[in-house]
Amino acid sequence: MPVMFIRSLGKKLVLQLKAFFLTMQEFFLFSVRAFMSFPKIIRYWRDVLDQATICGTDSIPIVLVSAISIGALLAIEVGNLLEDFGAKTMLGRSTALTVIRELGPLLMGLMLSARFGSRNGAELGAMQISEQIDALRAFGTDPIAKLVMPRLVAALIMFLPLTALSDFAGLQSASYMAEHYHRIDPGIFWNAVYPRLVAKDFVVGFLKAPVFAVIITLVSSFNGFSARGGTAGVGRSTIKGIVVSSGLVLIANFYVSKIVLENM
Amino acid sequence: MIELRKVGLKYGDKEILNNVSLTVQDNTIKAILGPSGVGKSTILKLMLGLIKPNNGQVLVDGTDITNMNETSLYKIRRKMGMVFQGNALFDSLTISQNLGFFLRENMKLPEEEISRRVAEQIQFAGLEGYEEQLPESLSGGMRRRVAIGRALIFKPHMILFDEPTAGLDPVSSKKILSLISSLRHNNNLGAVIVTHIIDDVFNVADSVAVLYQGEIIFDDVTEKLHNATHPFIRSILSDKILEL
Repeated sequence: MPVMFIRSLGKKLVLQLKAFFLTMQEFFLFSVRAFMSFPKIIRYWRDVLDQATICGTDSIPIVLVSAISIGALLAIEVGNLLEDFGAKTMLGRSTALTVIRELGPLLMGLMLSARFGSRNGAELGAMQISEQIDALRAFGTDPIAKLVMPRLVAALIMFLPLTALSDFAGLQSASYMAEHYHRIDPGIFWNAVYPRLVAKDFVVGFLKAPVFAVIITLVSSFNGFSARGGTAGVGRSTIKGIVVSSGLVLIANFYVSKIVLENM
Repeated sequence: MIELRKVGLKYGDKEILNNVSLTVQDNTIKAILGPSGVGKSTILKLMLGLIKPNNGQVLVDGTDITNMNETSLYKIRRKMGMVFQGNALFDSLTISQNLGFFLRENMKLPEEEISRRVAEQIQFAGLEGYEEQLPESLSGGMRRRVAIGRALIFKPHMILFDEPTAGLDPVSSKKILSLISSLRHNNNLGAVIVTHIIDDVFNVADSVAVLYQGEIIFDDVTEKLHNATHPFIRSILSDKILEL
């Protein structure tokens, strides 16, 4: 009995590994085709603009809400800690580093993974199960060039200003809390921010924007294209897209910081 | 002309098609009859190169498309129009936009020519007054007619229908079948119709292939179907609709 159990477990494991590597291969080819479609950007510029509105302009409220709340929270908590060491005047410096390097881009990435990624997954998944993607192929249109490339280009363009906005809003709310909660003069707060920021801090933060754009767009679109099994299948593929892209955003956030900070 | 030569297809361990050979001549209507889930729609997708067979060949106008890459296939696919079972209309576009979508996408035609062709299909499908409606506001029969119009607007040589009357009421079914019949007479079009409704075959098809357990068990002119001796065909002739 134990031998049979181990054998069947081994078989299942092999099958799952095979399926995993097959999916990886398909994802790789899907991504290559999305990048190879970039020359068609002129043909699909209207789609790029539409997607830029969806992932850029329409995402401003959620990015602002998350940035403002995390900036305010950071100012309160870090301020309390610094007070114990009599270093409250360093609040601007510590908040700025955390927001610009890490939390600004990370929170924006997670919010966009939920908002833009879920929209991609659900929309493309619904198109897949209703055979609209097959219809595109059947009538001679490349669905990756038409549906995925504009999303990717739009995300690559819009994630940078969204990161800047997230950083700005986070620091403004931190400054507000520093003044009204910790009674730190705004001049002291901002004086601790600007003169001490170096190029490396911005490179770490802003390099994450295109990395997150690629991860979120390709993972969510691939899952949408892979949707099977009716409306429940669309739900499954959308959730999978959000979970995987959020996980990858967290991992990429760590590695981008590590690589840039170690090499600059 | 579309030709399948000894085509075999498997999904995982499940054999869908086994050694399937059939030919669809230009300007004729060929029906592929079989129970649900037997691989009829798969044959249409093979003809368009949307899926690739495990073995055998698919030829369109003498060109082997079996291992053709996607870019080359787009040129071949433009010779054919496809009407999907669920219509596959773009739900965020109006009827006019749906009809003109692929003309704008793939053909460098002036906007006046596109508008003229769209108006022609609106009239052909009897959808005057619905041009600016979204597909969701139309009945099943009307949506099917839009899908047919969209397939015809390219002026293809061959049109592929996946279950053209499935899910429609008898009146709408009759309208769709007469529309299909009129295609050959008015437009010199060939057609492949995949169906599980035997009356559709007798109403419009010149020839019929019967698909059963992944194999073609009958392939001849429609009239000869009555004389077929295979027990499955005898049973479907008496039941009329296949629900196996």
